[in-house]
Amino acid sequence: MSARPNRRAMLMVGAGLGALMLGAGGYEAWRLFGRHYPPTPYDDLLSQLTDREAARKIGSAYSASHPEFSARSAAHLLRSRIRANDLRPALLTEIADNSVIEAGHWVMPESLVLLCAIAAKT
Amino acid sequence: MNFIDARQVPSGTVLRPDLAIIGGGPAGISLALALANMQIKMLLLEGGGMEFDSATQALYAGTETGVHYIPLDATRMRYLGGSTNHWGGWSRPLNESDFEKRDWIPYSGWPFPRSEIEPYYPRAQALIEGGPFLYDGLADGKLPGDLLPLGKGGLYTSFFQFSQWRGNPDHLPTAFGKRYAQDLKRIPNLQLMLNANVAGLRLAEDVRWLDHLDVATLSGVKFTVKPRHTVLACGGIENARLLLASNDRAPAGVGNSEGLVGRFFADHAIPRSTATLVVFGGKIAGFYKTNLNARGTHFRATLAPTEEFKRKRRLLDSLITMDQRTELDELGRAAVATTSAALGIDASNAKAYALGCGLELTPDPYRRVTLTGERDVLGMPRLKLNMTISDHDFASYRQTLVELGRQLLASKAGMLRLDRKSRAEWLGVLDWGNHHLGTTRMHQDPKQGVVDANLQVHGLANLFVAGSSVFPTYGASNPTLNLVALTLRLADHLKGVFR
Repeated sequence: MSARPNRRAMLMVGAGLGALMLGAGGYEAWRLFGRHYPPTPYDDLLSQLTDREAARKIGSAYSASHPEFSARSAAHLLRSRIRANDLRPALLTEIADNSVIEAGHWVMPESLVLLCAIAAKT
Repeated sequence: MNFIDARQVPSGTVLRPDLAIIGGGPAGISLALALANMQIKMLLLEGGGMEFDSATQALYAGTETGVHYIPLDATRMRYLGGSTNHWGGWSRPLNESDFEKRDWIPYSGWPFPRSEIEPYYPRAQALIEGGPFLYDGLADGKLPGDLLPLGKGGLYTSFFQFSQWRGNPDHLPTAFGKRYAQDLKRIPNLQLMLNANVAGLRLAEDVRWLDHLDVATLSGVKFTVKPRHTVLACGGIENARLLLASNDRAPAGVGNSEGLVGRFFADHAIPRSTATLVVFGGKIAGFYKTNLNARGTHFRATLAPTEEFKRKRRLLDSLITMDQRTELDELGRAAVATTSAALGIDASNAKAYALGCGLELTPDPYRRVTLTGERDVLGMPRLKLNMTISDHDFASYRQTLVELGRQLLASKAGMLRLDRKSRAEWLGVLDWGNHHLGTTRMHQDPKQGVVDANLQVHGLANLFVAGSSVFPTYGASNPTLNLVALTLRLADHLKGVFR
């Protein structure tokens, strides 16, 4: 019986190592260049935002005209409205129910604006 | 040849037609054409000639106070065809609710429903040369593009049609004077007198009958017209001026015993760039952005509040137009990115458009024309216009825009930014439609209107008023089609009077 490792096993090991290196490289790039946010009490909500920086711009515009805004109260309200990963249907229900407000003069679903405003406060 | 230059008429002449029509604009010309087969002698008195003349136009000069308005000698045209010499051809019938008494709009309501002038719309449409009478029916047939998807709610796509002068190589709207000059010349019982300025409506001693008209030309000719009946059709500003200035027997002016003549002036406010509409997919049918030709007519889409929405929210009428492309600022790009992502829509090709609009105003007795001490070369007192627009009117339109924004989100088609909020912002982009409305308002009660439902001046059996000055409430539709339809109804009434 030959002691030579078979060709298929070698390829699999190589591919695994390659994937590991790519993953490590990707993680390193993300660590070096990606935006990182410190943990917040609202990460369960903020994780639903695709582009947190864009959201912060909207949120800042909203809170500038609503100085009474409280991230804690808004989060409490949003958690009662949005169950995990259910943002989109919740927004569509709001839109149908006339729950739209202005943020920076843009007409948007209320919950999305509040989410943006929380992002702007963190 | 039945066109006569009044400057050739010997001074001191007395003419005795059965019917005098004062003013050769769309109302006066439509009336003469509609009465062509009547066995009555008609005299149409037009203050201008066949072409623009600066000396004649200067008779319109006046002053404006209050909110910025177009100079009174620039907002209308004094020659045959009147304001159709500078109109854009935008046409749309009034809505049913425009005729109703709306308890949230003071002084609102016509003395009859839309069904009263409905039968006259097809003939009015033919006179303005607007093609087949389709309007919102355009949405039921094939169109060169798709309607903007809007979620269920208060706005819908509504259509303007455009007057287009048949055979005119430049595709201009129908200028009634030039377009119908030959038709008017073929009416055997009509004399059309050019450069004939009516300088006074003279009442009989009992002030219940219009006895005669003083006519003057810029060349110094003066003569008299003693008609059996008279129709005043000089436009929404000049109708009031002539009634107010004719104050020798009735000190407040003809038809003005209740002080209503000249009050309730209105126009359609046309603020520019009122909002920004983003279409997530980037594509929108061309007929929203410009007028297109299909199904035998030129048309353009607007976004209009439904009757139900206006009643429920207690709003004024308005029509929203899509104007030029515009670029989004950083905040706008953030709003589009955030919202489209949250709704699961690809907005990488999103395009933004500035929105314009035409707004109905709340009737206001203090928005009015009054006489001043200054006189024109014919001795007629000049006018002062006090223009107003209330914050409530802007707020009403803003509510309509918010609803449009909501519907765009509901359909995931786009979103909307409201670009104006404070009064200063609104006034900074405010323009006007040159639609002169309301100064001789129609009401069955003489204490609330200058003319009755038949357009007869209250208390004067032989004086009528035609044109948009009789509109008691205004809607958002441009007035020409509607005033022509109303004039055709007046023609039917006059046929009964002369029988």
